[in-house]
Amino acid sequence: MSDSLLQCTGLTMHFGGLAALSDMSLHINKGEVLGLVGPNGSGKTTFFNVVSGIYKPTCGTVIFDGKDITSESPQAVYNHGISRTFQLSRLCLELSVFDNIMIGNHKRLSRGFISNIFSRRKFNEEYEDGLKRATHILTALNPELANRMFDVVSELPMIDRRRIEICRALISKPKLLFLDEPSAGMTHEETRQLMDEILNMGSYAKGLSIVLIEHEMNVIKRVTDRCVVFNFGQKLFEGTYSEVIADPAVQEAYLGKEVE
Amino acid sequence: MSTNTTNSLSGVLCSFAFAGVITALMTAIFIVESQLLIAGVLLGTIGAIVISSKFGVTSIILKSLGENENLSNALAVLVTLALIVIFYDDHYVLFILCTILLYSVTVLGLNIQLGYAGLINFSGAAFFGVGGYTAAVLSQYHSIPPILTLVIGGIIAAIVGSILLLPILRTSGHYSALVTLAFALLFKVFLDVNDSLGGAQGVDVGSFTLFGWDFGNDITIGSYDVSFYVPYVLASLVMLCVVFFFVRRIERSWIGLCLDSVRIDEVSSSCFGINIVRWKIVAFTIGNFVAGLSGALYASILGYISPANFSFGDSLMFLSILLLGGIGNLWGTIIATAIVVVLPEKFQVIQEYRLFIYSTLVLLMIVYRPVGLLPRKTRTYRPGESS
Repeated sequence: MSDSLLQCTGLTMHFGGLAALSDMSLHINKGEVLGLVGPNGSGKTTFFNVVSGIYKPTCGTVIFDGKDITSESPQAVYNHGISRTFQLSRLCLELSVFDNIMIGNHKRLSRGFISNIFSRRKFNEEYEDGLKRATHILTALNPELANRMFDVVSELPMIDRRRIEICRALISKPKLLFLDEPSAGMTHEETRQLMDEILNMGSYAKGLSIVLIEHEMNVIKRVTDRCVVFNFGQKLFEGTYSEVIADPAVQEAYLGKEVE
Repeated sequence: MSTNTTNSLSGVLCSFAFAGVITALMTAIFIVESQLLIAGVLLGTIGAIVISSKFGVTSIILKSLGENENLSNALAVLVTLALIVIFYDDHYVLFILCTILLYSVTVLGLNIQLGYAGLINFSGAAFFGVGGYTAAVLSQYHSIPPILTLVIGGIIAAIVGSILLLPILRTSGHYSALVTLAFALLFKVFLDVNDSLGGAQGVDVGSFTLFGWDFGNDITIGSYDVSFYVPYVLASLVMLCVVFFFVRRIERSWIGLCLDSVRIDEVSSSCFGINIVRWKIVAFTIGNFVAGLSGALYASILGYISPANFSFGDSLMFLSILLLGGIGNLWGTIIATAIVVVLPEKFQVIQEYRLFIYSTLVLLMIVYRPVGLLPRKTRTYRPGESS
C-alpha cells in the first residue's frame, strides 16, 4: 500500500510462557486516526512498547515510512518520527512545564560541552527557538497554559499534565503519535475537551497519524477513522466504529456470550 | 536580563548587610575559644534564624540574594577574602577555610552524580584520595607545574572511576550504590597493603612550587608575616569558583536537563531520544574528576596523607553534606560544608561523637526536611528571567 505509514507484520511478543502479542499484523495510513480497543491485558500497550522500542519483539517486522525499524532502540524510533504518551503520566513532576516540553524537543538540542557550557551562543539561540516553539504549541493546544511556562508540573491538575505530555510528544513534529489512554484519570468532560484540543491543533495535527488506545467508546466513535480490536494478544476485528460495535465476536469479547 | 536593572537599592543593601553579618559570625566562631561561648554563639545564630524567619526577614534576604546573582557570587568571594585578611597569620583558621572550600568542591562533584543524574556514590572520599595520591606521586617530579598536577589528579580519578562504570551501568538503584560502597572499602585496603604508596603509614606530598616560589614558605609583606596557607586558600577559592561556575552552567543547559530527565524517568527519557548510558557516564566521570581535582590540592596542603584520610566514613560525610545542604542546591552545599567542617573543629565536646552527630543530623533531615536546608530551585536557564 502506497499511503501506509506504519506496517507491522506478524508481531509476536512473549514474556516467558505468556504471549502478550501473537502474530499481530496491522497498518496505519498517513493522516489517519486509528483506535485500538480491547479488554484489559489484550496487548494494546504491549503493541506500543514493541513499536516504540521499549521491548524487542520475539518475531515479526515493523516498517515505518519505508524503513525497517524492528528492534531499534527507543532513541532511534524517536528520531525516525514516532512519539508517544504514557498510560500513567510519565512527566518529570519536579521540573517546569518548559523543561518537560524541551525533553520532547531533544532532537533539536545540541548536547556538546562547548556549546552548552563554554560558548553559550548556540545554546542561547536554541533556548530562544525552544521557548518560541513551546509557547506556540502550548498556545495552539490551550492558551491559558502558555502563561504557566515556568511553573512546576507537580502544581498542575491532571488535565494540564496530559496537555503537557501531548505537547512534549508533538513539539518534535513527529509523523506518528501514540496516545496511550489519554482519558485515564480524567472525567468524561475533560477527555472530550482534550480530544477536541488535539484535533484542532492546526499545523501540528495536519498530516499527523495518530494511534489511540481508549476504553471510552464515545471518544473512539468521535475521533477514529478505523478501529482494531485486540483480544488475548491477537487481532479480533478491524473496521470502522459502526462495524466494530455491530460485530458479534467483539460483543462477545466485551460482554460475554449470549445465553441461548 | 531586564529584571536585574530594576533591582531595588534596598535589595542590594540587604545583600551587603547579610554578607557583613556572615563575616562577623564566622569571625566570631573562629576567634572564640571557650566552649560555653561557642555554644552561646551557635544558639544565638539558630535563635536569630528562627526569629528572623518568623518575621519574614529570611525570605527577604534570600529574595534579594536570588534577584541579583552576580552580586551574591561576588559577595561570597568577598566574605572569604575578608576572612583571609582577618586571619592572615592564623594557620589553623586558614587550614579550616581550605578544608571548607575543597570539601565543597568535592560535594559539588557528587552533586552532579546524585543531584542531577541520580547516581549515588559511596566512594567520594576514594576518588578524593586518588587525586591526593596522584599529587603525592607527581610531587616527586618538580618540573610538573602545580596546575597540571591538579588536572592529572582529576583525570586519574576519572579513569579509576571508569573501572566502576560497567558494573554501575549494568545495575541500578541500590545495587549500583553497593558497587561504589565496595569500591570505597577496596580502595582503603589497597592503600593499606601497597608499600610503594607508603602503606598504612602514608606518604609525603611535596608543596607546590610556582616559578621557583615554594607555596610551603611563609611570606612577608611589608611588616606583616603572612601564613603560608594564604596562597593555598586563594588557590582553593579559585578552584571552588571555577567548579561552581561549571556546575551552574551544567545545570542551566540542555546537559542539566538531560541529566534530570535520566534521573527522574529512564523509560520516558529514552522514548525522547535521550541516551541514558551516555549521560550516566558523563555525570559519573565529571563528578569523579572534580573530586580528584580537589583531592590533589587538599593533599598538597596537608603535606602528608595516609589511607586514614580517605576512609569510608569520609565518603559518608560527603554524602551527608549533600543531604544536609539540599540535593541540587549549590549554595546549600557550601553552607552545609561549613557547618559540618567547623562544628566539630570548634566544638571539641562533640569531636568524639561526630559520626554519631552526622548520622543523627542526616536522619532528622530525611524525616523532617528531606529537601535539605536550601531546597533546589526550579530551573531557570538565565538568571533573573521567567515567572
